[in-house]
Amino acid sequence: MSTERDVTRIVRSWLRTDEYDFPVEIVDDVLARLDATPQDRLIWPARRFADMNTYTKLAIAAAAVVVVAFAAFNLVPRTGVGGPGVATPPPTLAPTPSPTAAAFPPAGALTIGRHSMVLEGLTVSFNVSTSGWISNGSFGVDRSPDIGPEGASFIFWTDTPVGVFIDPCAAVRGPSVGVSTAALADAVASVPGTDLVSGPSDVTVGGHPAKLVVISIPDDIGCDPQRFNLWYAPTPGFARYATALGSMYRVWIIDVNGTPVWMDGETFKGAGPEPARQLQEIVDSIQFE
Amino acid sequence: MDTDLVVRAQHGDKDAFGILATEAASRFFAVARRILRDRDLAQDATQQALLSTWRALPRLSDPARFEAWSYRLLVRACYAEGQKERRWAPNLRLLPMDMPVVDDGLSSIVDRDQLEAGFRRLSIDHRAVVVLHHYLDLPLDRVADIVGIPVGTAHSRLHHAMCALRAALEADLRPSVREAAQ
Repeated sequence: MSTERDVTRIVRSWLRTDEYDFPVEIVDDVLARLDATPQDRLIWPARRFADMNTYTKLAIAAAAVVVVAFAAFNLVPRTGVGGPGVATPPPTLAPTPSPTAAAFPPAGALTIGRHSMVLEGLTVSFNVSTSGWISNGSFGVDRSPDIGPEGASFIFWTDTPVGVFIDPCAAVRGPSVGVSTAALADAVASVPGTDLVSGPSDVTVGGHPAKLVVISIPDDIGCDPQRFNLWYAPTPGFARYATALGSMYRVWIIDVNGTPVWMDGETFKGAGPEPARQLQEIVDSIQFE
Repeated sequence: MDTDLVVRAQHGDKDAFGILATEAASRFFAVARRILRDRDLAQDATQQALLSTWRALPRLSDPARFEAWSYRLLVRACYAEGQKERRWAPNLRLLPMDMPVVDDGLSSIVDRDQLEAGFRRLSIDHRAVVVLHHYLDLPLDRVADIVGIPVGTAHSRLHHAMCALRAALEADLRPSVREAAQ
């Protein structure tokens, strides 16, 4: 019998002695395609804080302190100001300050508070009110260290999906359905082999009209759930598959002035109301800047 | 990793990206070949990952994390190519008979064949964790970061994969190379 140590040693050795010739044409082929492959440009200036010299950083930091101090001064209720009969307007609460926009919250535990990201070129922030949420640094936010009834997860799509799979187990894609949130929601509601739980429904996210569709993964999909594909983005290799049988997906497709923004939240088999409540709480906190 | 090259490539410098791509391509191919077990799929995955890297570079907030970030794109490309693998016929290959012999417990061509067959039965998700951890020697927290899963999931995938590979090695009925290739 092989011990755990033996198997590890054998597998490591097997992987290391498995040598292959590197096809040198790969790099030439890629470089030849660069001109036809535009880079994703961000909406904020490419020059970033990290690129700046120390004096510039200090100047910006000092300016930020001044702005915060000024704002705080103006938010302090002033007593004894204003004549009789003049209604004092209630202090106007400034929007919760958001952190400097980043493509996605860095990998690791999310602190309680607001976090920002860029979806479809739009800066979006959301609030985390409980501990235990973890960012994967690129597109995912998970609530639990593993799949299970207490778990929940989001995929915030930096590139909005454009279509669904018409044969999920065989990974056959349906045609792109365009940018209409209604058409995208209808497509989600019709992914073969899934159960439609509710929707498409009209909702509002971050002050913008949105569609919400809820589907679940039944037990008889006919293949491993991680082989069961749901929807895909235009970026090669970006597609959502079902994490587990019994998973439930809440898909919000938001129309931000004509640009569809997509986020989907997942809860797992046996989940009580709490994971879904926390997903909804995060969606309710969404702000577009 | 020269972060200056990364920053230049982020700003559209194709020459800088060419240097980065040349450095990364062989590493990418080696990883993709091991995950996908197919030369053509690995070549496509490597190309797609490099193009995705070029396209998404302006979004990379920390140039010092280029390597881990680019591996993430590679793993995604492997997932995409793995879908093709399912639609196409399995591509089992005979192992070369002049495989170097090492004293590692991997004593026979049959063991290699069993490992190959066992590894192919794993999902791409499990293979990726095994290769990143046991080939690249990355700790599981970094593997989890690259694959985009919680650390606990990385642990469970590795455990599942190693159990499956052990079972493959210990299978009582071992098909011959000829049978495995049919």
